[in-house]
Amino acid sequence: MKKRFIFFNCFAVLGFALVLQSCKEEDLGDVETISGLNRPAPVQTSIDKWIADSLTTPYNIAVNYKWDQFEFTDISKTLVPPKEEMVIPFSQVVRRAWIAPYVEQAGIVFFNKYSPKLFVLSGSAQYQYQSKVLGQAEGGRKIIVFDINNFKVKGMNGYVPSDSVVVKEGIRTLQHEFGHILHQNIMYPVEFKRVSEGLFQGVNWLNLSDAEALADGFVTPYASSKYDDDFVETIAILLTEGKDGYTRLVNSVQEGASLNGTSKADAQAKLRRKEALVVNYFKTAWGVDFYSLQAKCRAEFVKLI
Amino acid sequence: MKKNFSIFLPFLLFIGIISCKTEDSVFEQTSNERINASLAEYQKQLVGAEYGWKGAIYPGTGSVYSFYFKFNDQNRVIMYSDFDKETAVTAKESSYLVKALQSPSLIFDTYSYLHLLADPEGSVNGGVYGEGLISDFEFSFGADTLNNGTLTLTGTKNKTRLVLTKASQEESVAYGNGGLAKSLLFSNIDLYPIYFKRVTIGGVTYEINVNTTARTVTLSWLEGTTAKSFTTEYYYSSTGVAFITPFVNGGLTLNSLTNLTWDASKLSLGFTAGTANVTVVGAAKPLIVDVAAPKRFRQFVIDKGSYWISETGFTVSGKEDYFGITKIPDFYYMLFFPDIASSQGTTYDAFTAYDQTNLMGPAVVPSYTSDGRIIFSILGTYGTNTLMNTTVAEQIEDASGYYLVQTSPIRYDMVSAKDAKTWISWWYPF
Repeated sequence: MKKRFIFFNCFAVLGFALVLQSCKEEDLGDVETISGLNRPAPVQTSIDKWIADSLTTPYNIAVNYKWDQFEFTDISKTLVPPKEEMVIPFSQVVRRAWIAPYVEQAGIVFFNKYSPKLFVLSGSAQYQYQSKVLGQAEGGRKIIVFDINNFKVKGMNGYVPSDSVVVKEGIRTLQHEFGHILHQNIMYPVEFKRVSEGLFQGVNWLNLSDAEALADGFVTPYASSKYDDDFVETIAILLTEGKDGYTRLVNSVQEGASLNGTSKADAQAKLRRKEALVVNYFKTAWGVDFYSLQAKCRAEFVKLI
Repeated sequence: MKKNFSIFLPFLLFIGIISCKTEDSVFEQTSNERINASLAEYQKQLVGAEYGWKGAIYPGTGSVYSFYFKFNDQNRVIMYSDFDKETAVTAKESSYLVKALQSPSLIFDTYSYLHLLADPEGSVNGGVYGEGLISDFEFSFGADTLNNGTLTLTGTKNKTRLVLTKASQEESVAYGNGGLAKSLLFSNIDLYPIYFKRVTIGGVTYEINVNTTARTVTLSWLEGTTAKSFTTEYYYSSTGVAFITPFVNGGLTLNSLTNLTWDASKLSLGFTAGTANVTVVGAAKPLIVDVAAPKRFRQFVIDKGSYWISETGFTVSGKEDYFGITKIPDFYYMLFFPDIASSQGTTYDAFTAYDQTNLMGPAVVPSYTSDGRIIFSILGTYGTNTLMNTTVAEQIEDASGYYLVQTSPIRYDMVSAKDAKTWISWWYPF
């Protein structure tokens, strides 16, 4: 018993000392000693200059294309940095297909206020089970775009018509992630969650085909994973496919009931209801004419394929 | 017991006092200044190598790849690599950064030849999707590597080893003149139309077996009547094929094979081994027959209740999948399944193609010869695939049979004993 008593005494003294210290007002001291300051910056390249002039100055958006492991959320994944020759073509697409329509429709103040401020590029996709992750949004500030090395648009060396799928996926990823940022600022109405109530698949979305998802009133299999992704996938599909494209999508719902018993008419009604809710959300939450934005986005997209 | 604590008490008190005192560093400079100085020193080393650096990297999936690096003071690096025939001759510029992470680190921060190994896209490097060849492009400097002409670096993610050695002027010129590509001629040994290959160096005949994917070379020879064998990994340098483990046999020591030549019309490879200029010649028979191999080959999978697979089928005269079996609809792989079933008291093996649903091809009964061959006789057939049940079946039941050559614990090559111009590679991937 006595031993323990001595111990307690010792701790008490130490504790007291700590309390005293923590009360002391601290001086910032010599900031020169803070580790990591005063490092020489890497030499600027023509790519760095292009990004500064075209994205950072007008829109306050930085593009990190040089490797920095800790910009990537899951550090256990194997990734590689982008090929330098892909950085400007990709950034140009970002500007034309995503930034320009939004700025034109909603104004530069809206865009610069809500747009993510940092793009982090990975050359490869992030592999997860049997699928590839193509984009990630973090806290409304950062968008990670994967698979840049396979990105191709019309006019680039080696572009073939089937690459339009890659372009579409790339732009859809941007629209998808920006959609997340919008609803993280102003939540979409709860009605949206009710449209497909009981049909969400969680991680099982991986096992769904496009047709199966559509038959339940989801624009893509991934939309069936959770509410938020349903919402932003609907935005992304509406913006990349355009009004006519969306109608074609709605018309392509398979005959007969889905595996979950959703009838064709019901699935089509769900898709139209989601469209209406998205349009309404953009109007009431942001004062943006969605159909006009859609027309601009689609027009830019068509030029790239 | 009580005494013990009276010893500890003053210590505790002492610690308490120290923590109250303003700290005096034992260093004259702040940690930040010291890190910056260290980074500057590494940077100076990298840039200061007038003729650049030779690099050897050891990815997690095995084998070695060689590189040439020339760093400048603008965060740019120029590379060659023995990864393939293009990277060997085309200089590629990319970005690098010397930066303090947990320790001073060298980061190749935009895509370069080095990233081909680490790329998680399996189609780039033949690795598993999501992993690639388990390599690195971000390295920490080893503590004791300054000023001895060699830098040993360790990958931060996969602990890949990268060894940089200062290149000579001669080597630097050789890289610029396509020296690596000349060395890569060695991989043309795959184009020989015959399986067994021999070289004679210093009066000794060696059988040479090269795995250009795993980058290993095996030399087998007879010492009197004793069979000897030596295997090493290799990489391509500006002057030839460099062995990781030197080959020593009596007075002969080989660190590398140099002056690679390739005669495309005769499909003939030549090189200098030590002082001897030699040519690789084909042979219809193994120099040393592994007599027990056929039985071992079958028993290996019998013990596992499993089978061998081949993704490419038969190679004939150097042409992979000569019979075109991979074009069978939904072709998955070819398989050899010993003791798959019995019919009227005869146990047979399946030697067939597989499309994930059906077996296609002959059911065979094996027999062994005393000189180490296996011969198959056809008992019946699976399915009605004409290609498998006629052309391929005829090849399988060739009366000369096959030698088996074990190339790794889970790989065997089955080589036609008729002329060694037909062979099939089996592996056990499960």
